[in-house]
Amino acid sequence: MKYLFSWLKEYYKTDESPEEVAAKITRLGTEVESVNGGQIDDKIIVAKILEVKPHPNADRLQIARITTGKEETEVVCGAPNIEVGQLVPYAQVGTKLADFEVKEAEIRGVKSPGMLLSERELGLGDNHEGIKILENAEVGEKVSSLLNSDPVLEAEVTPNRGDVLSHFGLSRDLAAWEKLIEKPALNLKESNEKTSDFVSVEIKTDKCQLYLARVIKGVKIGPSPDDLKAKLEAVGAKSINNVVDATNFVMLDLGHPLHAFDAGKIQDKKIIISEIEQETEVETLDGVARALLPEVMVICDAKRPVAIAGIMGLKNSEVDDETTDIILEAAVFEAKSIRKSAKELSLQTEASYRFERGVDAAGTEYAINKAAQMIQEVAGGVILEGVVQAGEVEKPHKVKVEYERINDLAGVEYQKEEVDKILTNLGFKIKDGLAEVPSWRHDIFAWEDLVEEVVRMSGLERVKPVAIAKSTKPEPTDYFKKEKIKDYLADSGLDEVVNYSFLSDEDTIAAKIDPKDLIEVANPVQEENRYLRNSLVPGLLKDIAKNPSFDDIEIFEIGNVFLKEKEQTNLAIVTSGKSARKVGEILKAFCEKFGISEADFKVYDIDREELKRFKIKKPNVSVAEVSLGEILPKLKFENLDLRVDENEIRYREVSKFPPVKRDLSFIIDEKITLNEVKKEILSATKFAFLVEAFDEFKDKRFGEGKKNVAFHIWLQDLGKTMSDQTADAEISKIISSLKEKFSADLRS
Amino acid sequence: MKEGHLHPSTQFLRELVQIFSELGFEVYESPEVDSEWYNFDALNIPSNHPARDVQDTFWLKDGRVLRTHTSNGQVRYGETHKPPIKIIIPGRCYRNEATDATHETTFNQLEGLYIDKKVTVANLFATLDQIINKIYDGKVEYRIRPHHYSFVEPGYDVDIKVGSKWRELLGSGMVHPTVLKNMGINPDEYSGFAFGLGFDRMILNKHDIEDIRLLLSGDLRFLRQF
Repeated sequence: MKYLFSWLKEYYKTDESPEEVAAKITRLGTEVESVNGGQIDDKIIVAKILEVKPHPNADRLQIARITTGKEETEVVCGAPNIEVGQLVPYAQVGTKLADFEVKEAEIRGVKSPGMLLSERELGLGDNHEGIKILENAEVGEKVSSLLNSDPVLEAEVTPNRGDVLSHFGLSRDLAAWEKLIEKPALNLKESNEKTSDFVSVEIKTDKCQLYLARVIKGVKIGPSPDDLKAKLEAVGAKSINNVVDATNFVMLDLGHPLHAFDAGKIQDKKIIISEIEQETEVETLDGVARALLPEVMVICDAKRPVAIAGIMGLKNSEVDDETTDIILEAAVFEAKSIRKSAKELSLQTEASYRFERGVDAAGTEYAINKAAQMIQEVAGGVILEGVVQAGEVEKPHKVKVEYERINDLAGVEYQKEEVDKILTNLGFKIKDGLAEVPSWRHDIFAWEDLVEEVVRMSGLERVKPVAIAKSTKPEPTDYFKKEKIKDYLADSGLDEVVNYSFLSDEDTIAAKIDPKDLIEVANPVQEENRYLRNSLVPGLLKDIAKNPSFDDIEIFEIGNVFLKEKEQTNLAIVTSGKSARKVGEILKAFCEKFGISEADFKVYDIDREELKRFKIKKPNVSVAEVSLGEILPKLKFENLDLRVDENEIRYREVSKFPPVKRDLSFIIDEKITLNEVKKEILSATKFAFLVEAFDEFKDKRFGEGKKNVAFHIWLQDLGKTMSDQTADAEISKIISSLKEKFSADLRS
Repeated sequence: MKEGHLHPSTQFLRELVQIFSELGFEVYESPEVDSEWYNFDALNIPSNHPARDVQDTFWLKDGRVLRTHTSNGQVRYGETHKPPIKIIIPGRCYRNEATDATHETTFNQLEGLYIDKKVTVANLFATLDQIINKIYDGKVEYRIRPHHYSFVEPGYDVDIKVGSKWRELLGSGMVHPTVLKNMGINPDEYSGFAFGLGFDRMILNKHDIEDIRLLLSGDLRFLRQF
């Protein structure tokens, strides 16, 4: 939810900055994801772009030459939207942004004194697609004089905390560090006419605990005053008209959803809360026709439904320009029922969101009174006397405060007085060791729930870490055996792939699998997630088709497959290519190593038809697959120690364009490891992304202490297909750099 | 001679498993397809509760689900084992959504579970501190903040600082008494903590990988770099 900082401060009195308050809210368990708007650092000034040129060392970066009126400078910029002539926010060195200070940086070899900012970096919104382009600005002017605004805090409210889904609610939680805050008194001016003489309310379902109605007569519908509009829009609510805006304001203010009916459209001035008995077609306020199924809770007048309870009103009772009399609703609907109906209708609203999480029943009357007062302020009219009520506010429940157990679970010695004070500040009423749970909290059922409250309010730093008892290294389970198999296969030259667990319709056709044999997903968002795989082979065959850059491929996967009757872990190996080994050859060595029989495996060649269906252009594709559950108990392992590779990996982004492969062999000092050479090759050129050794041997003819090493080197260009010319140039760089570093001689 | 390569996820998980093995956690594996009970209800996530919205679930036509977390192994393991329980559950989890460079239907999680007499929040924080310092070699700034998960009470998130931003690393908390009961363990006698970390993001950060989909791409130009 979005919270306006100034609105929070109406209840939570503070001199702290928005960032400080945001940090406090996060520490209380409602994570503030962003703070937007507010004070912009005066070091950010308006600059004009004079020239845009490419960065010499990075395809995605540009260099912008800018002027601030006083001086010209060049900054590196990653955004695609900059053009000559634009006015942009320029953060000079020393600018303090939300979470870092701008320093003189060197970006890929180019100095950048300061940076150009996106909307997000300016703290004004979520947009980070490009640099914020300024309008009606003067070069050199402070950006703060153009764009300062009231800060908005956006926070992720967890589903258990419906009570903080409002400005008052969040403020109450914040203030609880010091004291319990109360809602300010209202100043309601009622007429002599009685509400009960105008409207009646009757509840005919057990899903509605409480229903309050008020009537305001003689309102004038029109646009809201600017300040109300601005307030709503700042937190993402659309302004509709003064009456509807007032109800929305109260929801965002207090957390209680309200609804306004045009009284003139409510037949016999009767309000009946009931459930749909037979499927009924209605048109909701958003103009959509919807079918209401039995058991959906609705508000009816004498003849028909006029609102879907807790979700959305219907068009037939909408407040419009002609409306003069209003019936205002504030109610408490059952969370589960609202959630079920909202799901059924695929209609999530601000109201249903709050009812699903629970509203403050005891605060209902205050909410309806505040809304009535506000409607009168913005739309005029007279408020009839009294509230018409059906149902009752449920009595609060109590939980035992288990002081000792709270301390035992937290691992902290809290004093009883401290626990009582924390709970009292949160609105609990403590008496005789029992805590009466405040009406707005729907997440407190037992003493364990109080632990959370005590720990967060007293501060997590009070919890001093205590290490758990040491225990011995546990016995290795099947996981370790599977890792040993992976080690063996990788050591013998195979690459491990990991594929999706899904099959698409297309996959089942290519693999000739009858979908009837597959477990089907009921609600896939994407086509390709329709079935669960019952074999690893289709995925591996797709991998073969996907890798035209490699002539010979030997790959394996260990993963779960899903048969109708059970889930099991399989191992599958696929090889392809003229010089690749046949799967049988790999298996033979595998079985010898682990002491099992090849008969456990399903081994076969893929025929031409199937290759075609999988769009594989390589010859000699052979496959083996086995259920590991059946062979694991039979395998013999020397040990089950886990091997963790310490080699440094230098990952390079893979180009969309095809690479070229070159082979080089060198005579080199035998003490130099293959990894050292590899690292040096990768350092020599950014075009090399993959370097693999394929030969290493000693021979007298190379001289004393020398060896021959040979590498496959793949070169690519991120922006285009790698040309032979560039490749030649880069290969020369590699050769000279190995010569320089290791005195390595190229073998011709 | 030809070099073979292990998948980056395999390599990374091994590092994690090694850290946990040294702390005495046993590796337990639970099924990827599971019942609504083990994935949700047993973990105190009832139907018709907004907590279910936290994840988009793949429902299967036979009424089961693709697990949304490896927490499905908690109650399964608890049913057949007596405390002390000290396990990690690594494995593949699923989220029913459209994929892009930062969203994936298929991701890896590692769940930890420790149940014994008198386990405290202080124990949880100490264990988190150990784990984080081992994973990042002591070179990371982290914070713990309260958070809500239905299957723990109280619950906490851990964020680490990546560049200038806080990024969520893991969720954790004290095992909810209802969950203990569902394991057949008496919550008056035992308590425990659980934590779950999604480690794909950690792999991407470690190697500066730009697109999460590369992990399951089968692209050997990518895989053979590891």
